[in-house]
Amino acid sequence: MRLRIILRYIGYVLLFNALFMLISAGVSFFEGDSALLPLLFTSLITALIGVFPIIYVPATENIHNDEGLFIVVAGWLLSSLIGALPYIMWGGPFTFTNAWFESVSGFTTTGSSILNNIEAIPAGLLLWRSTTHFIGGIGIIVFMLAVVPSTGQAAMVLYRNEISSLAVENFRYRTQKTLQIILIVYFGLIVLETISLLILGMSFFDAITHSFATVATGGFSPKDTSVAFFNNPAIEMVIMVFMILSGIHFALIFLAITGRMDLLWKSSIVRYYIGALLVSVLLVTINLHGNVYANWLDALRFGAFQVISLGTSTGFATTDSNIWPGFSKLILIFFSLQCACAGSTSGGIKVDRIILTLKSIVKHLKIMFHPKGVFAFRLNKTIIDNSIVEAGVVYVVLYLLVVFTSSLVLTFIGVDIMSAFSGSVAAMGNVGPGFGMVSSLSNFSQIPEMGKWILSVVMLLGRLEIFALLMFLCRRALR
Amino acid sequence: MKIRTKIMLGFLILAVMLAVAGAYSIYELTTIGTSVQKLLDDNYKSINAAKKMIEALEREDSGVLLLLSGKWKQGRETITTAHENFKKAFETAENNLTIEDEKQYVDKISTLYSEYRRLWDRPIVGTEYEDNLNWYFEDVHEAFKDVKIAVQDLMTINDKAMYETASNLKNRAHRAVMPGIIAIISALVFTLIFNFFINIYIVNPILSIIRSVNDFITKDEPVFVDIETNDELSELADTVSKLASMSRLPK
Repeated sequence: MRLRIILRYIGYVLLFNALFMLISAGVSFFEGDSALLPLLFTSLITALIGVFPIIYVPATENIHNDEGLFIVVAGWLLSSLIGALPYIMWGGPFTFTNAWFESVSGFTTTGSSILNNIEAIPAGLLLWRSTTHFIGGIGIIVFMLAVVPSTGQAAMVLYRNEISSLAVENFRYRTQKTLQIILIVYFGLIVLETISLLILGMSFFDAITHSFATVATGGFSPKDTSVAFFNNPAIEMVIMVFMILSGIHFALIFLAITGRMDLLWKSSIVRYYIGALLVSVLLVTINLHGNVYANWLDALRFGAFQVISLGTSTGFATTDSNIWPGFSKLILIFFSLQCACAGSTSGGIKVDRIILTLKSIVKHLKIMFHPKGVFAFRLNKTIIDNSIVEAGVVYVVLYLLVVFTSSLVLTFIGVDIMSAFSGSVAAMGNVGPGFGMVSSLSNFSQIPEMGKWILSVVMLLGRLEIFALLMFLCRRALR
Repeated sequence: MKIRTKIMLGFLILAVMLAVAGAYSIYELTTIGTSVQKLLDDNYKSINAAKKMIEALEREDSGVLLLLSGKWKQGRETITTAHENFKKAFETAENNLTIEDEKQYVDKISTLYSEYRRLWDRPIVGTEYEDNLNWYFEDVHEAFKDVKIAVQDLMTINDKAMYETASNLKNRAHRAVMPGIIAIISALVFTLIFNFFINIYIVNPILSIIRSVNDFITKDEPVFVDIETNDELSELADTVSKLASMSRLPK
């Protein structure tokens, strides 16, 4: 592995971060707020460190898989570290731990916050906070295309299954082309949502920050009460639509827009994803009616938003779901575990793996009745190899093991069981809010320092799909 | 890029990092100085004036009680001195309006004090008000309390502002220290990277050239060094290689 090549590409990642810090500093300048110097200083330091390897190391296009893995994982970790600097320098509620937590939460598009009074933070710093979602979203796209291939065939099939039609359609099915397509969808969704929110009366700042958070399925809002601040059903509707879209494989959205709408309906993953959301919205609405909300419309409005928000791993809130009945809370926890589809910016186990696991259970049941039978796995009419299904199931087990271990450690350091479990689920799925003291309209400021470090590692494990981070950390041991 | 530029660039980046961090810290420290002065000038002066006003008011209240008990001379003397003190303190507060809405608080004190003064400015000794405790408790003392509360409100907003300025100072101190810490850590990381690149792109090629020349001398192997970069070292490698090939040619 060539360290100099890795440094060169990490240099680009740092320059990219520095550029957005500079833009945030520009906003600070126009607003005349106190975040201008912290943002300018960190932008300059980041740019200086970033530009050096680019100048020194000659360009090369020949990057090995393990180098790609290192570039993305180290880029993510370094971005989180560098991203914490403006917070640390600005001070206020940002201790080193809090700044690191907020930064990791932003870059992993989790959206959990330690801030009690978000609206007291300067506009420039709030823009940087939302920008970490935007950059994190791009990171996820690069991760899908550059790192996933190096983590084995299983994960690659999972990510590429939905877009196999790209190859059929004679697209130059290459990473670069796919990257372009997915980035077009990513930027397109952000632009469309921003315009829609502007039309509905949001300020440009609120519209762009909410769009960054929606399309990256992050959840940072510049308002203390998240989307509830606007108390506007039309705005909620627009955000819900974009949250759902951001949970679908981006290349599939591209195909749908470019005339292959039928592929959306043909995809068993999308059918399950939409179907599960609809059924859950219905169940939660019925459960909330009479228990929390007197009329059906309110039950539907708040129920639907919260289910979609957690079901896509976004984490926006229009109400405090902490006061909801146990049934509704459990549905939300299920969605925080499952989240949306592979190939989107969503976190969690992902619908694709849930389907694989369900199919695996069905297959085992069939084998029990027909011991000599041969049954093939199919996903979107494609036969899936047993090893891929096995890898999917292993991932689910490992995922739950991380959630359980994190909950266990959190309860050991004094966090109550509900906050510990739901917080771990929310961190691992990059969802954002949980229940208890980390509920939808609350935050993670009450979690002990050690807990914040544990949850930030869990967020990174969730975002880097466990194996990538393990491969990065235990490269020598795993060889 | 030439070697000299590359090395210069490394040191330049280090210098810029430290210079910017130093400038930032100096700026923040200067701002701290300004904030301390502001804290003393703006808020402490008003708080002190408010304290003096309360003290004067209490003296005036004692003077009124002396008048009520028939001690005209002592009472008037006390009141006159206290009134002068109150006026001085009030003027200080009036000329030191530094907080938003502070003028409203000062105006309120002025109005309430005028009402209070109207009560004891009239003759008391030898009138129906002498020994009239009901009049004192129902009118004078109530008016006294109203002015005192208004002055205390002025003190509270200045207290709050002072606390905010002090908190801001704490943040400023934090911001003055952080650039230094960040610059030192960044400079250390940068030095490691710089050192790594010097090794890879300068020291290693030189060693390769030396090794190749030695091999040429001792083993008569051709001089060939593959240099990744396009700088003086690749030129040197080419020149050495050419020189070696020329020395092999029969004379």
